[in-house]
Amino acid sequence: MSATESISVIQRSQVDLLDFVDWTGVECLNQSSSHSLANALKQGYREDDGLNLESDADEQLLIYIPFTQVIKLYAIVIKGPEEEGPKTVKFFTNKEHMGFSNVNDFPPSDTAILSPDHLKGKPIVLKYVKFQSVRSVETTDMKGLKKIEEH
Amino acid sequence: MVLEATMICIDNSEWMRNGDYNPSRFQAQADAVNLICGAKTQSNPENTVGVLTMAGKGVRVLVTPTSDLGKILACMHGLEIGGEMNLAAGIQVAQLALKHRQNKKQQQRIIVFAGSPVKYDKKVLEMIGKKLKKNNVALDIVDFGEEEDGKPEKLEALLGAVNSNDSSHIVHVPPSPNALSDVLISTPIFTGDGEGRSGFAAAAAAAAAGGVSGFDFGVDPNLDPELALALRVSMEEERARQEAAAKKAAEEAAKQEKGGEQSSSQDATMTENIAASTSEVDKRNDLMDDENALLQQALAMSMDGPSSGITERDAEMSDAATGDQDLALALQLSVQDSTKDAANQTDMSKLLADQTFVSSILASLPGVDPNDPSVKDLLASMQNQSEQKKEEDKAPDQEDK
Repeated sequence: MSATESISVIQRSQVDLLDFVDWTGVECLNQSSSHSLANALKQGYREDDGLNLESDADEQLLIYIPFTQVIKLYAIVIKGPEEEGPKTVKFFTNKEHMGFSNVNDFPPSDTAILSPDHLKGKPIVLKYVKFQSVRSVETTDMKGLKKIEEH
Repeated sequence: MVLEATMICIDNSEWMRNGDYNPSRFQAQADAVNLICGAKTQSNPENTVGVLTMAGKGVRVLVTPTSDLGKILACMHGLEIGGEMNLAAGIQVAQLALKHRQNKKQQQRIIVFAGSPVKYDKKVLEMIGKKLKKNNVALDIVDFGEEEDGKPEKLEALLGAVNSNDSSHIVHVPPSPNALSDVLISTPIFTGDGEGRSGFAAAAAAAAAGGVSGFDFGVDPNLDPELALALRVSMEEERARQEAAAKKAAEEAAKQEKGGEQSSSQDATMTENIAASTSEVDKRNDLMDDENALLQQALAMSMDGPSSGITERDAEMSDAATGDQDLALALQLSVQDSTKDAANQTDMSKLLADQTFVSSILASLPGVDPNDPSVKDLLASMQNQSEQKKEEDKAPDQEDK
């Protein structure tokens, strides 16, 4: 249900980018082994409310998602519980293999502060001009990330 | 066969001069490092290993992660002992070196040799451990050398902070006459979490255990695959040949079953020779002993060529005497037709005449009980036959003339 709501918000020409994700290169740093990125991203898993992505040692997570072709990124949907969901999300495009130390080396392409609405499924609209030719996207955020849908 | 980039942190502080490990702590450490490098590069050719020293003037990277084993071994030469070990800095530099590895697909691993006292406290070490875990770096700790109060606990705390999914390990090695490398071989540091055992490590462990190789033919297929393959092929050929001979033996065995003849006595001697030469090769075969004896008899016969032909015929004749009279006549004729070595026959007869020798041969034959009365009768009758054969042979010779 929540998935269809978010879809209705998007314009017609846009698609769920799940099909374009290059699964061999998907990485997540500082995830806990039982709650991994697959729970949040993969078809079938992400619809399941019981499965979520959780961070391990501290509250930072680094998610790296490469795509199979160059895409234009319009919006991201991140779902999570209010208390433990992410607050600040930074997006980096086309930077391979970042580590937590790199995060402060260059400015993010976009930063998003999540409100409770966002955590319920409202898409976060990104600065479209900055995401025109995206090969991979890195997001670093707080713990308790639940679902990610990209459009 | 995990694809891995490893940084090895060596302790070259003053504490390494001590000789409680044979020959000195530093040398034992160097041997262990060499062994680890070899094992890593063998388990996966794309693995890379780098080395840095933690003591001396400061943390110094001797070689960045590379798959060139020669380079790694060369840099271990001419290392100087001195200074104090800086564990935290060493680990951090190792982490940095791993971060800049060329193949980003490799898993990151740090191996630390902690031989001198650890001057950092638990909190600092735990923070370092957490940072390693966050960046998905595994850590192996070798606790050896100086045994200070609290050192094992500190290192265990560090391991606890780093460990995720049992990918990190710690090994405590107390001083002992065993070499440090031997102790390490059996640890998860070498065997890599139990999955994908390195053939190198297994072979090294076998060699260390005293030459008992777990592999066929005493050759490690990993070390020398062509030799192992050649040995295996020749074994199968031998087996096939023996099977073919076994069929022949089965036919002969039916006739030979009833008693010892000249051929069997010959076979016995041949058997002993063959047994000695093939014992090593056959050691690991699952042939039954009696099968073996039969096969070896057959081998002897097939190898013996023309002379065994005579003995076969003689055997047939002896059996025929107790069995089919007509068959005996026919066989006699066939023997007369072929020109045989008379001397050979007489030798064989003499052997046969030697009761004790024949009975000992009989005892070694499978399925023959020398005390069986029928066998005894046979022996007696055979002796008569041997004399008869002499007369018969003389007769055909005269006839031929």
